[in-house]
Amino acid sequence: MRILYLLFLGGGFSLMVANGFFGREFFGQRRRADLPPSVRQTPGAYRTFLHNNGFHGGK
Amino acid sequence: MSTLASCPSCGAALSFRPGTMVAVCSYCKALAARKDRDPELIGKVADLVDTGSPLGLGASGTYTGRAFTLAGRVQLKHPLGGVWDEWYLALDDGRWGWLAEAQGRFYLTFTQAPHGALPAADSLQAGGLADLGPDGLWTVGELSEATFHSAEGEIPWAVEPGAIYRYADLSGRNGAFATLDYSEDPPLFFLGREIPLADLAIRGGTRKPTKLGAQNLNCPKCGGALALHAPDQTQRVGCPSCGSLLSVENGKFAFLKSLKQPHQEVVIPLGAEGLLGGEKVICIGQLRRSCTLEGTAYPWTEYLLLDSQHGFRWLVESDGHWSVATALPPGEVPQAHEGQKNLWAQGHNWRRFQDVAAVVEGVWGEFYWMVEQGERVQVSEFVAPPRGLTRELQRHKNGGEEVNWSLSTYLEPSEIWTAFKLAGTPPAPRGISSFQPNPHKTTLSKSTLWIVGALGLLLTLVMIESTTHRNIELFSRRLDLVEMAHLGPATAEARRGIPTRRPAPAAPPTASPSPSDSAIGEAQEPVFFSGPIEIKDGHQNLAVTLSAPVNNSWVSLEGALVSETTGVAELFLLESSYYHGVDGGESWSEGDQTQMVFLSAVPPGTYVLRLAPQWDGRMPPVGEIEVKLRQGVMRWLYPGLALLAILVVPLLMVFRMAAFESRRWQESMYGTNASSSGGDD
Repeated sequence: MRILYLLFLGGGFSLMVANGFFGREFFGQRRRADLPPSVRQTPGAYRTFLHNNGFHGGK
Repeated sequence: MSTLASCPSCGAALSFRPGTMVAVCSYCKALAARKDRDPELIGKVADLVDTGSPLGLGASGTYTGRAFTLAGRVQLKHPLGGVWDEWYLALDDGRWGWLAEAQGRFYLTFTQAPHGALPAADSLQAGGLADLGPDGLWTVGELSEATFHSAEGEIPWAVEPGAIYRYADLSGRNGAFATLDYSEDPPLFFLGREIPLADLAIRGGTRKPTKLGAQNLNCPKCGGALALHAPDQTQRVGCPSCGSLLSVENGKFAFLKSLKQPHQEVVIPLGAEGLLGGEKVICIGQLRRSCTLEGTAYPWTEYLLLDSQHGFRWLVESDGHWSVATALPPGEVPQAHEGQKNLWAQGHNWRRFQDVAAVVEGVWGEFYWMVEQGERVQVSEFVAPPRGLTRELQRHKNGGEEVNWSLSTYLEPSEIWTAFKLAGTPPAPRGISSFQPNPHKTTLSKSTLWIVGALGLLLTLVMIESTTHRNIELFSRRLDLVEMAHLGPATAEARRGIPTRRPAPAAPPTASPSPSDSAIGEAQEPVFFSGPIEIKDGHQNLAVTLSAPVNNSWVSLEGALVSETTGVAELFLLESSYYHGVDGGESWSEGDQTQMVFLSAVPPGTYVLRLAPQWDGRMPPVGEIEVKLRQGVMRWLYPGLALLAILVVPLLMVFRMAAFESRRWQESMYGTNASSSGGDD
C-alpha cells in the first residue's frame, strides 16, 4: 500500500511540476508537428497536412 | 493511652486503646469485650487463615501525615468462598481506620456520620446506583453478607463469633469507596478510597514479603501433582489430570466432584510464566466459557494470571484473538441502563456490542472463588477498539449479587507468543473480534503525516504557480467570418503559406483581416495568419481561447502555432458550439460558446498563428469570433490530479476501514441499524 501510495504521489506531483514549472501539457486536443518546407510554401497544403495528422475540423 | 486488663480466660495481659471494643487474647484466642470494670469473655475465635497478607499486627505507618498502628484485624468469609482481612488502624489522633484487603487491593475507610438518610438494603441492587443524598451518588458494587471467621489484636467494634453481617460495597469515581454496614440499625457508613499500600508507608509488624512461589500438593483423587501459586486465595482447583473439582481449605485439598470437562486446546499451560506489559505473571487457571446465541454456542478460553503483587488479570482467547483484562472499580463506570447503546467512561465513548449469558464449561487450575461448572453470569460488552469494557452481573446463592467491570485490551497473538515464549507461530485469528483494532484505521493514522506533508507541498506548489503564472496575453483578435468567407482563390494568391522569416513587421491588428498583415486563406478555405508573435518564456504553457456568439450552431477552429525559426507547429482544434431548446416542456442546452485549449510550452522565438475557422454551410453562423493566445495560464487540472493522488489511497483506506467496521458490527446485537439511530450518552 505504501509503494502504491508513493507511486500515486510521485505521478500526481510529477504532472503538476511538469505543468507548473516546465509548461508541459498532457491533456487536450493538440499535437506537435514538424511542418515540412513544402507544406509551409504550398497553398492548401496545410489543410491536407493537418487532416493527415488527425485534425478533422467541422461536423 | 492504652488500658491494660487481664484476659478473662487465661489471665494474660490485654490492651484496650481508646475506641477498642473487643480484644483478642494472643495466648488463648479468647474474645474479650471491653466493660466498665473487667473485660467480658464473649467466646473464642478460630485460627486465622493464612491469607498471604503483606501486613502484620503491630506494624506502623502514616496516613495524611498522621502516624498509625495496625492494632487488630478481623477475617470475614465471603459467600462465594474466600476469606478477606479487615485491618484496623489506630491513628495517633484517636481515630480508627478500616483497611480492607481483597485480591491484592486495599481499601481504607473511616466511619462517617451520614448527612442524609441511608438507603435500605432491599432498595439496592448490584450495578445500580445508591443515592446517599449529600454524600453523593454511588455505584453498588456488591450486595452481600459476610460471616465472622477470626480476629486478632484490638477491634474497634463489637464482633461476635459466627455472626453474619450484611453489607453493600459502594464504588465511586477516582477510587472512592464506601461501605454500608447493615448489621446495625441505622446502618453504619464507612467512607474512603482504594489506596496503594505504598501510600501508607507501612513498616514493621509481622509483615511478609510478597512472593511468587508455589505450594506443591497432590490431587486427592488421582494423585497428580498440583502446584498452588496463590494458596492463600485459592478456593477451587480443577485437576488437569483427572478433571476433579477440589476445594482448598487451609492449604489442603478436598474432593468435591468429578467434572465432565470439554476438550481443551491449551495454548498457555498451567504454571507457564511470562512477562506481560513488563509485569511477571504466571498462568494459574484455565476457564472455558461459552455463550449461546440463536442455538449456536460460541466458546472462548480465559487464562487466569497471577502477578507479582498477588493481583489477578485475565488473558482471553476467542477464535485466535487475544486480550488482557483487568478489574475496574464499578464506580469508575457510569451506570449502564438496559439497552443503552453508548456509554461514556474512562475518557472514551463505548458502544454496546452484545448482552449474553456466559456459562462456565471447563475448569482447570486454581481459582480465587468457588467456581463451578454451569456458573452463569450476565455479560454486557461495550467496545471502543482496541479496548473493551465488560460488565458481569453475578447473583449469589444466598440472594446477594455483585457486579464486576473489567477493562480489556486487545493483544496481537504474537505478543502472547513472545510473552510466554511459546513455540511455533500463533494461528491466524478467525473473523473479527468485537474490539479488535481496525488495521486500516491504524494504517491511515500512520499515513497522516504523509498526507499532511503532501497537502502542504501541494499548497506550496499552487502558491508558487499562482505567483509565477501571470496569464500574459500574446495575441487577441476578432475575426470577421463574413469577410473571410468571401475571400476567393484570387486573394489567396496574395499570400503563399508562411515565410520562414517575415520581410516586414505586421501592422497593428484591425477588426477585419487584410491581406497585407495577416488574413489570407489557402485554397478553398478561409484562413487567417497572425503577425509575428514573440514568445520569450520557454517554460510556461500556452492557452488558446475561442469565443463565438453561436446560437444553435457551431464554429470550429483549426489552429497551428508555427515557429518561424524551426517550422515546428503546435496543432490544435477548438470548437464553439451551443445548442438549446425546449423538449417535452423542459428547456435544455448543451455546449459552450467559449472553449479553450492548452498547449505545451514552446521554445522562445517568433511564432505565427494560423487560424482556419470552419462552419456548416456557405454563410458563417456568426459574424465574428474572438481568438486569444495567452501564456502562463494556471491550469487547475494538475493540482486537482495531485490532490486526487494524495487522497486516493487514504480514501481507499477509509473505504476498507468502513468495510471492516461493517463486518465487525454484523456480529453485534447492536449492529448497523441500531447504531444509525444515534447514541444514548
